[in-house]
Amino acid sequence: MTALTRELWFLSKDRSAQVWLLIAFAAASFAVLFGLQEVSSQRDTIERLKAADTIEREVAIEEYQDWGSAAYYTFHLTYDAPSEFTFAALGQRDTAPWKHRIRMLALEGQIYETDAPNPDFALIGRFDYAFVVAILSPLFLILLLHDLRASEKANGRYELLDATDEGVWRIRAGLRLAAVSIVLLLPLWVAALLSGASGVQVFVASAAVLLHLTFWWAVIAWINAHGWTAPINLTTLFGVWLALAIVAPAGIKIAVDSAVAVPDGGDIVLTQRETVNDAWDLPVSATMDPFLERHPEWADYATMEGTFEWKWYYAFQQVGDQTVEPLSIAYRDGRMRRDGLSAMLSWLSPPAKIERVFQSLSQTDTSAAATYENRVRTFHAELRDYYYPLMFKDAPFTDEAVSTRPSFSN
Amino acid sequence: MTATYAIAREEWRLWLRSKVAIIAFLIVSLIIAATSVLNAQRMSHERSERVHQQETAEETFLAQPDRHPHRMVHYGHYVFRTPPPLSIVDPGVDAVTGQSIFLEGHRQNTAMFADARASANLGSFEGITPAFVYQLLVPLLLIALGHGVFVREREAKTLAPLLAQGTSGHSLYFGKLLALAGLSVALLVPLLILVGVTTALGEAWAMGLSVALGYGIYLFIWCAIIVVVSAMSSTRGIALGLLVFVWLIWALIVPRLAVASASAAVSVPGKLETDFQMYADIRELGDGHNAADPAFAKLRANLLAQYDVESVEELPVNFRGIVAQTSEADLTSVMNEYADRRMGVEWSQSQHVTQYGWLSPVIAISAASRYLSGTDLVTHHRFLREAEAVRFDFVQGLNQSHIERLSYIDDINRNQGAEASRRARISSDNWKVLDEFEFTPAAADERVARTVSPALMLSVWLAALLALGAGLSARLKP
Repeated sequence: MTALTRELWFLSKDRSAQVWLLIAFAAASFAVLFGLQEVSSQRDTIERLKAADTIEREVAIEEYQDWGSAAYYTFHLTYDAPSEFTFAALGQRDTAPWKHRIRMLALEGQIYETDAPNPDFALIGRFDYAFVVAILSPLFLILLLHDLRASEKANGRYELLDATDEGVWRIRAGLRLAAVSIVLLLPLWVAALLSGASGVQVFVASAAVLLHLTFWWAVIAWINAHGWTAPINLTTLFGVWLALAIVAPAGIKIAVDSAVAVPDGGDIVLTQRETVNDAWDLPVSATMDPFLERHPEWADYATMEGTFEWKWYYAFQQVGDQTVEPLSIAYRDGRMRRDGLSAMLSWLSPPAKIERVFQSLSQTDTSAAATYENRVRTFHAELRDYYYPLMFKDAPFTDEAVSTRPSFSN
Repeated sequence: MTATYAIAREEWRLWLRSKVAIIAFLIVSLIIAATSVLNAQRMSHERSERVHQQETAEETFLAQPDRHPHRMVHYGHYVFRTPPPLSIVDPGVDAVTGQSIFLEGHRQNTAMFADARASANLGSFEGITPAFVYQLLVPLLLIALGHGVFVREREAKTLAPLLAQGTSGHSLYFGKLLALAGLSVALLVPLLILVGVTTALGEAWAMGLSVALGYGIYLFIWCAIIVVVSAMSSTRGIALGLLVFVWLIWALIVPRLAVASASAAVSVPGKLETDFQMYADIRELGDGHNAADPAFAKLRANLLAQYDVESVEELPVNFRGIVAQTSEADLTSVMNEYADRRMGVEWSQSQHVTQYGWLSPVIAISAASRYLSGTDLVTHHRFLREAEAVRFDFVQGLNQSHIERLSYIDDINRNQGAEASRRARISSDNWKVLDEFEFTPAAADERVARTVSPALMLSVWLAALLALGAGLSARLKP
């Protein structure tokens, strides 16, 4: 116990250690603050969009009193509300869409649109908690611990300290490790409490932070054990950090992207457009036959009176989607396979790994983006299920029928 | 002068004899070389890919059969943003912005398929580009090798005899600075090679050299601060700690704080949100598909008066085409108004970020590098504007054919059976209204003009640090 109090006393005298701890605390606090702010602004945006969307849909209903036009002119808002833990890692939300308006036309022509924020933000990156933990915290720890032995050596006390009490290094390092953990975790806990994150999320996140810090503590201890001078320790440790936090992720990314081919997105939309547009000049059966394969229930209603009917128009929109389905699925699968491979290889880079862990807890990772995309697809399918009976059976346009139209809910 | 050079040479000799220095230098050089080659390969692949896609899109458009002109308005067209030659140095926002836009009548779509969405996700620093290496990693090498230039002599107690022997503080200072500057110049060689490659790809050599010059000034800023800190510190540990602190603040913390600050200070409502307001404005204009829309009553009256006829059927031009053309023009001016406003606010957001260059030269150099390379936000906006110009031209060109080449009677009867539908088509020769599109970044002088502000920041940083160093060296203590 006396050794611990003595070390605490040393820490209370160590100005530079305190400065680094203060910076770590400030960084973690600002990060959760910015995160909470961003999340609340995204929630507000969604509320505003929902209100505007309701008004717009009412206007569209007033204006277009037939199913075909109503379906053509009515957009539906879909959105992916941030989770209670999103403040900790904004992840893919700067590049992948979290709000989207779709209509009854071919979905493949619409779903890749992205209403992204200023690209400079995604390029420079966000100051979120995941960044502080993954990238900055190893540096804080390195700066706090790299000269533990070396500085005592330089002061000529090393032999004495080492001889009198072997545990002194462990206590000294452990104390600093604990201090870094506390200054990093406290802001997270407060923010999690404020935003109502679940206990499990906080527990997993805290465990991940501790594991990450312990890993770096071990690396530092290993380098320190060589008995080099403080500058050499620091340089070497920065080299290790560089390799693990920057070079490894970049290498993994190149490897994954080249190992798993993903079809060119442009091909999907181009093919879809060709199919949809060619349909105008093709016999009706060229559209209806593939359409009826999916929807045999409309076989009796698939004939056309004139040269244009809305049901035919929407049928070829769907056939457009059907035609590019293999490409579209390959595109989605490719992205998921890349993500799976990245998940595995990111064990080679603890900073990348912990950032992925945080993104997954925050539901801002690739699979969360894919889940949202799938929900948009499901909703679009619901719209089709709603409109097809009305169009194929030529149902009257009534308020009652309009009131049962599906709307997206999170 | 010779004293200065002798001091620098002594420093170089020491580095050459130090295994750690050589290894660190080799590792960084290897990283530079690898990223340069990989990035050059990737970007030139992207370039040829997108040029090819552009050509295909144009060929497909022109190869469309005879049709009703408005069908072609909805058939639409694709444009692709070709990365500029200097993107092999700094791809900038290329990966995070969509690379292609679908152009169609009545709508301004967003750019689709940002690379960042489809590629592997590995957190904060997942892509290394030559620009990134020069901005973040090379300074670390300079710190690792250079932090001891003064303090080493102080620790070895050789500083006092040096000063006593008559070597002036100034020549010591400039000698150490020269040593680090020489190292920086050596590290810039791969960048110069890349610049040479961009010249071969069609970039003005002056632009490439400006980029290299920018990085040169930036690295000299680091040299200057390293020498200053080394001259002031009492031990190597303190010098290194301080310099790493500066690096951490400049390279990792301030840029992201600048983003947080910009997003709080300048709010940019998303396109989705402004679209709601825009569509409300547009509804006032009338639906260009519906010539009977009351919004076009005045247009009809004017036309009837102008041609002195009783009904639209008697007009020598196709009234539906005129409605389509007029409403497209009105619609576009509303859409452009919104788009311009949005781009304006985004640009002020980015400028807000750049202002933090006064706190961190990393921000200044990264802005300068993107501006000069033509891979910045403004270039992306330029792409959006040029795409819009292409869209408007081909849509209005098709509407012109609609007015002149298709009779109103055939047009309104187009749905009365197969034969009527055939009559309501015009020859595919009319599709030639589509212009060829090749995206190029802004002219050199425009890019240079944008770079004035970050270049000023870098110059002030360098001048201030050099002045500080020169001032300190006059009163150098052993």
